[in-house]
Amino acid sequence: MQTSENGMESTNELSESDRHILNFLDSMDSYLILMDSLSSALRQGWLELASARHSMGASRVSSALFDLKSHNAPTTLQVNNAGPDVEFPHFTLCKWALSSDPEKRSEEAKFEEDEMLQNKSNSPRLQHPELQESKAEGGGSPVTIGNQAQKERLKSLSMFGALVSPKLRSTQLSFEKALEALVEISNVRASLLCAYDQVQKDLKNTT
Amino acid sequence: MYGFEALTFNIHGGYLEAIVRGYRSGLLTAADYNNLCQCETLDDIKMHLSATEYGPYLQNEPSPLHTTTIVEKCTLKLVDEYKHMLTQATEPLSTFLEYITYGHMIDNVVLIVTGTLHERDVQELLEKCHPLGMFDSIATLAVAQNMRELYRLVLVDTPLAPYFSECITSEDLDDMNIEIMRNTLYKAYLEDFYRFCQKLGGATAEIMCDLLAFEADRRAVNITINSIGTELTRDDRRKLYSNFGLLYPYGHEELAVCEDIDQVRGAMEKYPPYQSIFSKLSYGESQMLDKAFYEEEVKRLCLAFEQQFHYAVFFAYMRLREQEIRNLMWISECVAQNQKARVHDSVVFIF
Repeated sequence: MQTSENGMESTNELSESDRHILNFLDSMDSYLILMDSLSSALRQGWLELASARHSMGASRVSSALFDLKSHNAPTTLQVNNAGPDVEFPHFTLCKWALSSDPEKRSEEAKFEEDEMLQNKSNSPRLQHPELQESKAEGGGSPVTIGNQAQKERLKSLSMFGALVSPKLRSTQLSFEKALEALVEISNVRASLLCAYDQVQKDLKNTT
Repeated sequence: MYGFEALTFNIHGGYLEAIVRGYRSGLLTAADYNNLCQCETLDDIKMHLSATEYGPYLQNEPSPLHTTTIVEKCTLKLVDEYKHMLTQATEPLSTFLEYITYGHMIDNVVLIVTGTLHERDVQELLEKCHPLGMFDSIATLAVAQNMRELYRLVLVDTPLAPYFSECITSEDLDDMNIEIMRNTLYKAYLEDFYRFCQKLGGATAEIMCDLLAFEADRRAVNITINSIGTELTRDDRRKLYSNFGLLYPYGHEELAVCEDIDQVRGAMEKYPPYQSIFSKLSYGESQMLDKAFYEEEVKRLCLAFEQQFHYAVFFAYMRLREQEIRNLMWISECVAQNQKARVHDSVVFIF
């Protein structure tokens, strides 16, 4: 009886340590995929910036036009530090200053992120009347959020002029995607380090 | 034959026409571009360019090179050639050559004003200005708060003064006002250049009016596409289109109400010269539109050299050199970013 109980305990311990190893490997896999995605978004962004400079002219797309006046950051990063209830810190991107409520802002940001990334294409279309009409039937809020985010995007691009090429707007979306990937990488890295600590503890317990 | 230019043109314009045709033969060929597109580093590009007319301008540049350095030095060559022609020209060719630079002057004015609005250092902005568009009091632009002051303090003594009558207001300068000012000035400049060429008459008028009409039409399309999704109203958009060109006036009426690229395509495909441009693009796509327009422009500019005894060859040469510099900029960026697969996205071969 005691032997079988000891056997069950060690089987449970093995399952627990296997789970930790699998978590670690999953986190590592996600991390590597996200790093690759970040690299490709940045490459795309830099090439599109060169394309925008080629289209609009070097004097219109230049670091000399960056706005040095003080203004609020349109996008902020929230960090929920690790605590008794939270295993590892969590990072949340709040895009385009959509609302002052952090929770609401993160939901709006996620929604807007999904919409814009789905709609990103070679077309310069930035307003989608058909899409807005179908959303308006469901409720007014997503349309307002979409318009607000779009206005903030155009406002941040306005340092290069009020009428910018669609290539510059594509550049903005690429770098936005890269920023989201960076935040996601931070979250995955935090869970990766936590999973690694777990695996290290399991190794110490078995030796 | 338009008139009797062949009898009298060479008295005052013969030397410079020969000079500009000599300059034209120095433009890079397809073989040069193929070699440049295979370069692995910017130093390789510099090595290939050392065998061209750009060689003396790049030879003293230290490694590591930057793409902006290559563009800057190539632009210096164009400026030197332009200044040589301008100093040798007599009227009306000298006025014609000056007209070619007013577009750069407008860009420089907008750069200084925008940079000042963004609290940038004036010296830093002056370094970014195009050398062909410089004038004496350009640094004083930084003190102006609105367009009225801009005009009164600085621009009244420049060739851009007549173009300001349509956009003088006392409103403070902001991003949208500056953009409207840029496009209004450019519209007035193109119309003035068009009238000047018409007055010259003969082959110059025939060829230049065609080239300027194409420029006006291209600007109308770009303004339309760039203003989609912005605060610019339809009326304001319509006011920025030039009052000449193939699209004037009915094409402009259609473009003014376009809300996406497919509607722009629908408006443009009614005009046969632009149907061929838009046929190269797939529906909903606009990334290759710039290249398609540049290719059409290069074709028209090269045709200008097929006739003699007119001034359009000078305009055509300047524009072809600018296209060449754009090509070199793009190739350099693709090589620097290790994106050689995309190098043919924006290179427009001239010959």
